[in-house]
Amino acid sequence: MLKKIKKGQLIVIMVLCAALLGLAGGQAIGQKRFEGIEITVFTQNPPFIAKPVMMVRADWEKKTGGKVKLITSPWAELYPKMLSSFLLGAKKYDIAIGVAGWLADFASNGFIVPLDQFIAADTELDWLDIMAVYRERISSFAGKIYAIPLDGDNHLFYYRKDAVLNPEYQAKFKAKYGYDLAPPETWDQHRDIAEFFNAWDWDGDGRKEYGVVEPMRLAGQALYTYFSRAAPYVSIPGQAGGLHFDPETMKPLVNSPGHVKALEDWVQAKEFGVPGMINFDSGEVRAVFTVGEGAQAIDWGDIGVMVNTSPESTVKGNVGYSVMPGTTRVWDYKKQEWVDFPEVNHAPFLAAGGWVGMIDANSDHIEAAYDFLSFLGGPVNSYISVTTAQTGFNPCRKSHFEKLAGWYGYGFADPEDYLGAIKATIGHPNVRPDLMIPGTARYFEAVEAELVMALAGKKTPQEALDDAAKKWDEITEDLGREKQLNLYRGSLGLSAK
Amino acid sequence: MSSGVGNWPEPLGTILHIAGEKTKMRNILGAFTGKKAGRVFLLPTVIFLLVLTMFPFLFSLSLTFGKVSFIGGLSIHFAGLRNWAKLFQDERFWNALSNTFFIVSIAIPVEYALGLGLAILLNREIKGRAFFRVLFLLPMMLAPIAVGYMWRMLFNLTRGPINHVLLLVGLPGPEWLTSTEVVKYSVILADVWQWTPLMLLILLAGLASIPREFVEAAKVDGASGWQLFRHVVFPLLAPASIAAVLLRTIEGLKIIDKIYIMSGGGPGISSETMTVFGYSLGMRAFDLAYGSTIAFSLFINVLVISLIFFSMTKRFQEVTLE
Repeated sequence: MLKKIKKGQLIVIMVLCAALLGLAGGQAIGQKRFEGIEITVFTQNPPFIAKPVMMVRADWEKKTGGKVKLITSPWAELYPKMLSSFLLGAKKYDIAIGVAGWLADFASNGFIVPLDQFIAADTELDWLDIMAVYRERISSFAGKIYAIPLDGDNHLFYYRKDAVLNPEYQAKFKAKYGYDLAPPETWDQHRDIAEFFNAWDWDGDGRKEYGVVEPMRLAGQALYTYFSRAAPYVSIPGQAGGLHFDPETMKPLVNSPGHVKALEDWVQAKEFGVPGMINFDSGEVRAVFTVGEGAQAIDWGDIGVMVNTSPESTVKGNVGYSVMPGTTRVWDYKKQEWVDFPEVNHAPFLAAGGWVGMIDANSDHIEAAYDFLSFLGGPVNSYISVTTAQTGFNPCRKSHFEKLAGWYGYGFADPEDYLGAIKATIGHPNVRPDLMIPGTARYFEAVEAELVMALAGKKTPQEALDDAAKKWDEITEDLGREKQLNLYRGSLGLSAK
Repeated sequence: MSSGVGNWPEPLGTILHIAGEKTKMRNILGAFTGKKAGRVFLLPTVIFLLVLTMFPFLFSLSLTFGKVSFIGGLSIHFAGLRNWAKLFQDERFWNALSNTFFIVSIAIPVEYALGLGLAILLNREIKGRAFFRVLFLLPMMLAPIAVGYMWRMLFNLTRGPINHVLLLVGLPGPEWLTSTEVVKYSVILADVWQWTPLMLLILLAGLASIPREFVEAAKVDGASGWQLFRHVVFPLLAPASIAAVLLRTIEGLKIIDKIYIMSGGGPGISSETMTVFGYSLGMRAFDLAYGSTIAFSLFINVLVISLIFFSMTKRFQEVTLE
């Protein structure tokens, strides 16, 4: 009897197990919820920016059953291709990975999907781990979140420790300029250091080195360097605006005395630059600094990565990082006067804001696209991306700064210094975001063409910036002053007029 | 209920129906076999060409009189001559136009002169002729972007080999791509290096097509080498020369890749040509209406130059024949 019962029970148990296994099997298939779905991701040509997508897509495909098709283009073609696809409703790309500055153009026209609800329901993204400045300022438009930040963009200042901290050079510098040689706190000090270390072999490698290396080429990301230089001259702490427009009138401020002074400085810096610097884009700046030709440089986090991890680097361990230099005089656009500061006024610049992932509002696979973005930008994969060579992604999450093991494994000699400078930049109370309003590409093209003319000596800084301001006014008129004003105010966190 | 045609009785209706179908068929077949056959066969090509060439052409022409807005989707509003007026007042346009003509007016004559010299040399029975023919054609086979990068590296001031060699022989290396005065000549040098082979190829074919009897007859008459070239070879080479120069002029006016890579149009905008300018405004700034206006102004320039060229060529041929 017992045997029979046991047998009967055994059968029941087996049936139940089979049913459970079936259910489990069914759930496993159900978990692969994007089986048969292919999403298209569009971004920059590999390696930079496309590489993280290439690194994680196989894992996501395995996890979800979906497929990821990657389409890439050179940098200069990204914005026009994204915009034309969105405009025509072509559904060419489910996900567009572009820079935050384009978000306003796309969001204001309803081209991309608001992600607030997805993010609120997402248990894996760890949204609050993303640094507040990227979470709140570069991924939002008009109060809604439209993008997942994948990269933290900000300009850092780099200097050669073996030059600036060398006691022999410090003594000579003090004898010549009358103050101690140290990493520059102001743009005036930066100029003196550039002059002092220009065109002689101060590192003993048998070649001449130069005072500074910065991009100055049209369409070579020169304008970001300019705005980094201009920011402390025109940004009074606590005062909105000043760098681009007057948030009360939308009057361009790029020709204010603060801007003119910054451009005069930049034109002068050309004299202390690596030969040919006027034709450098940011890629060349990184390469030249990495092989040890410059004493000071401005760049995103990329130089830090290259000098520590590139096989070509000759300066690993000899590079210092800091917040961008500042000024002791600041132009107050409201009072129309220079204000003297007792302490140095720093105004770090979130150049370009960072790379963000956006989803086409016309996509047939919005849910799958969001899931992939969350997987790509989540804490695990984003940490791998920022600590892997040639991804182009820089730290943007709190956890990126806390776990140092990955940075040492990556090849960094001094990750605390590098991450410390980034953290100090991002967390600075006077940090300035990049322009994020519709037509940003037009404003940028117009001002950059004028900046390079001043650098080439074809116009004075005042003439160039006056012409830039005139063009900015024309663009604003063209796009609608009132609309632009309110969107600009929104981007600064101010209420609409 | 009759199944024939109209109210005719069944058999007659059927006959008329068949006759009607035959007539229709004859008309259709006639279209493919009669005098209109050519037009019918051409129709798909014409439609294809109209759709693929004329539509974009006319669309971008219309953009030059429009204002493009992206707000709430793509919309185009009529703006009259606004873009054209802006173009003529734009100092960057005049700078780009001047740079374009400067580069073309120097590069093309140099390419022609070098191409002609090399073609005459390689048309002779010299040792290793086949090898040199292939060697001289190699630059033409490279992508202009690759050529741009190659020259950019060669011209590098601190690590480029050209200035290194000049320094070794005690000469100061010029600022090839970083001087506003020199940069255009550097671009011309790269262009001449790449496109002289095209001139060579066309002129070599032209030389090969000159009947030997003409040359022999001139030699029998005692013509010197210069006289032979001036009065026999050069005039007979005119059709090939015209084709080569016109082709290169049109292509030269559209130069973009090499400049974009070598100098980006700089320093400043000192080497910015019409195409680089149009690309910057149309594609980087996405000002489609103004970008189209720049592109059309280049098209008008190419058209006018081509017409002037044809007219001059006709006159030259008449004079030569006389």
